[in-house]
Amino acid sequence: MTDIHQDPGAATRQEPGATSRRVIQEFWRLRWVAVAVALVGSFVYWPIIDNFRVSLTHQDIFTGETSPAGLENYRRLTEDPVIGLALWNNLAYAVISVLFQVFGAFLLAAIIEGLGSPRARAFWRAVYFIPSAISTTVTGLLFYFIYQPGMGLMDGVLQGLGLGAWSRVWLGDPDTAIYAIIAMSQWQGFGYAALLFSVAIQKIPAELYDAARMDGAGALRQIWSITLPMTREMTGLMVIITVTGAFQVFNEVMVMTGGGPNNASQVLGTWLYEQGFNQNDMGYAAAIGSLIFAVTMACGLAQLWLNARRRVT
Amino acid sequence: MRLIPLAALLAVLSTPLAAETLVADPAAPVTHEGNLRVMTKFGSERLRPYFETLAAAYMAAHPGVTIELIQEDDDSVKAKTKTLLASNAMPDVFFSWTGTWGGNLVRGQRAVDLTEVLDSDWGKTLAPSAVDAFAYGGKKYGVPLYLDAKFMGYSKPIFAEAGIEVPETFEDLLAACDTLKAKGITPIAVGNKSPWVGLHYVGQMLAHDVPRAVLEADFDPATATYTDPGYVTTLNRLSELAARCTVGPEMNGIAYQSALQMLSDGKAAMYYQEIIEFDNSASASTVLKPEEFGHFILPAPKEAKGDPMALEGAPEGYMISTASENVPLALDFLKFATTPENGKLLSAPPYGQPSAVVGGADPATMNPSVVGGLQDIAEASYLIQWLDTVNHPKVATAWLNGSQALLGGTMTAEEVMEGVRAAAEDAK
Repeated sequence: MTDIHQDPGAATRQEPGATSRRVIQEFWRLRWVAVAVALVGSFVYWPIIDNFRVSLTHQDIFTGETSPAGLENYRRLTEDPVIGLALWNNLAYAVISVLFQVFGAFLLAAIIEGLGSPRARAFWRAVYFIPSAISTTVTGLLFYFIYQPGMGLMDGVLQGLGLGAWSRVWLGDPDTAIYAIIAMSQWQGFGYAALLFSVAIQKIPAELYDAARMDGAGALRQIWSITLPMTREMTGLMVIITVTGAFQVFNEVMVMTGGGPNNASQVLGTWLYEQGFNQNDMGYAAAIGSLIFAVTMACGLAQLWLNARRRVT
Repeated sequence: MRLIPLAALLAVLSTPLAAETLVADPAAPVTHEGNLRVMTKFGSERLRPYFETLAAAYMAAHPGVTIELIQEDDDSVKAKTKTLLASNAMPDVFFSWTGTWGGNLVRGQRAVDLTEVLDSDWGKTLAPSAVDAFAYGGKKYGVPLYLDAKFMGYSKPIFAEAGIEVPETFEDLLAACDTLKAKGITPIAVGNKSPWVGLHYVGQMLAHDVPRAVLEADFDPATATYTDPGYVTTLNRLSELAARCTVGPEMNGIAYQSALQMLSDGKAAMYYQEIIEFDNSASASTVLKPEEFGHFILPAPKEAKGDPMALEGAPEGYMISTASENVPLALDFLKFATTPENGKLLSAPPYGQPSAVVGGADPATMNPSVVGGLQDIAEASYLIQWLDTVNHPKVATAWLNGSQALLGGTMTAEEVMEGVRAAAEDAK
């Protein structure tokens, strides 16, 4: 019988220098991500930090002079009436976009993917996606003509339906300008969102639907009990993308109204631009940029947290 | 107290980026070598070929020179300039308005002092009043390229058909509008989606209602009060003009290009425009032909308290960047751009930009209305500059937003002026 004597310290005793070698190896492995980290750090994180630095200063574009401002620009945020209006407009953009580009697009995708013919499915996907392939500037110009008072398609349709009294100066009326822009944005983004949902729906195993049909579930029941829960992660992602996109919106408003009339359609992005490039107030513009970052970050984190709690496993 | 080191850090980082003001030497030798970046406001399809032609001719004459053109339009040149300023990448030669816009560039030491050059023989080939418009603190910083002013363009056939004469007073203009409306014709096409359109009316009308000395004191942020009752008078007159002569609040949903097109298509009797747009309003390809196009200065009311002979307008021109590595070459290019021959090319269709060069306009090759407009500019008692470039940016924005809201029917004249006064106070 062989007596196997085990040294109780063997498991924890290491060769001299093993720890430092392991650390070096760990760092050496990081070389594969170093380039990506450097790029992301330079072009994403550093600008965020630098924007915050600029927000604590007064800057004059013409002279290039900078002076410390402390938290003055953030105090101004709380007193600027246009900030409240812009936040409201961004919020309206977000809510309406979630309704149309998440829930509406989901329903559309479910209907399209429920079609029997593959050719019909491909056709309708393409039909709804085409507006997303048009640039915002072109879309803005197109909708400008649609909304044009008196001569536009919108007024023409209303007149044709006997609803001439509903005719408005869609882009020139403070009460309707932002909603006219939001409507254009839904038209443009709806198909893209539907396409993403289509991809998610295509990944759902067909057996689930077969089983549901055998149990007597109708189309609506299948959407509610299978499609919706099985695409929950895509829905969560779309909500994050749509909400953050709604708070970063710029092009659509700039092209359609420039934030007018009388600031009625300002959103945070256009107000930032107005302050920085028209009012020569880069410090305050940077403070608005920090506000946009904080809002979108908060929305994103909230959505991720909610999504994690509801994840289907 | 953590803010203290942060403030110290920021103070260290607060290094002025602008270069020091340079003074151009008229006797400096020109080396025709290297690159020249030129930013213009001629980005539209109609105007773009002018600088392309100039650049090609200059490069052909001087093979060692390469000219890079950055052609922007009326709106985009503002943002482009500020972006280039912020990144210290101003082109060698760049467009500038007069007034506060040019003043800011001078204040920031971004423009070369051209006083000695413009006081030399070459400077005397340019219209003196246009050169003086680019003077700040007694020094001259800009080379005026063309003159600009605002006129009411009208369709002679529509006026004749309606039996109306060119109005001599503001009251006559309103009466003419009533006649045209009664005949189912849109009297004045206005597209105020970009609010500077309405503000140009305000500028001309202010010259009629507010004494010049008051206006000039109010344009200076240090002395601005905006309390003269003439301001409210002007805005109320504008409201009346909008109600009797235009489509009303709908104008805020119409682009100015669409409104101009209405005059060109013979669908409106008048359109308020800059002289540099005359060749765009009426040409061989439009319904309204050049010989059918007329113009007049927006008339003053009978009881004008300001200057009834004043005209809204200003020359527009080019500055040389203090960051330029070849100021003599940049200056040589500007001299080339302002030869009488190139002035005549600029003044004639399709460009129709009345040159600021003395002898740079040939009536034989120009639209007769442009020739007439130039005469009106020469006879004007005072040129009131554009409100959105002469004022501090905060005040300009208050004017732009307020006038658009007034024309949209959502603000009163008094409310607009409250906003302007608040902005003026803020700008101090």
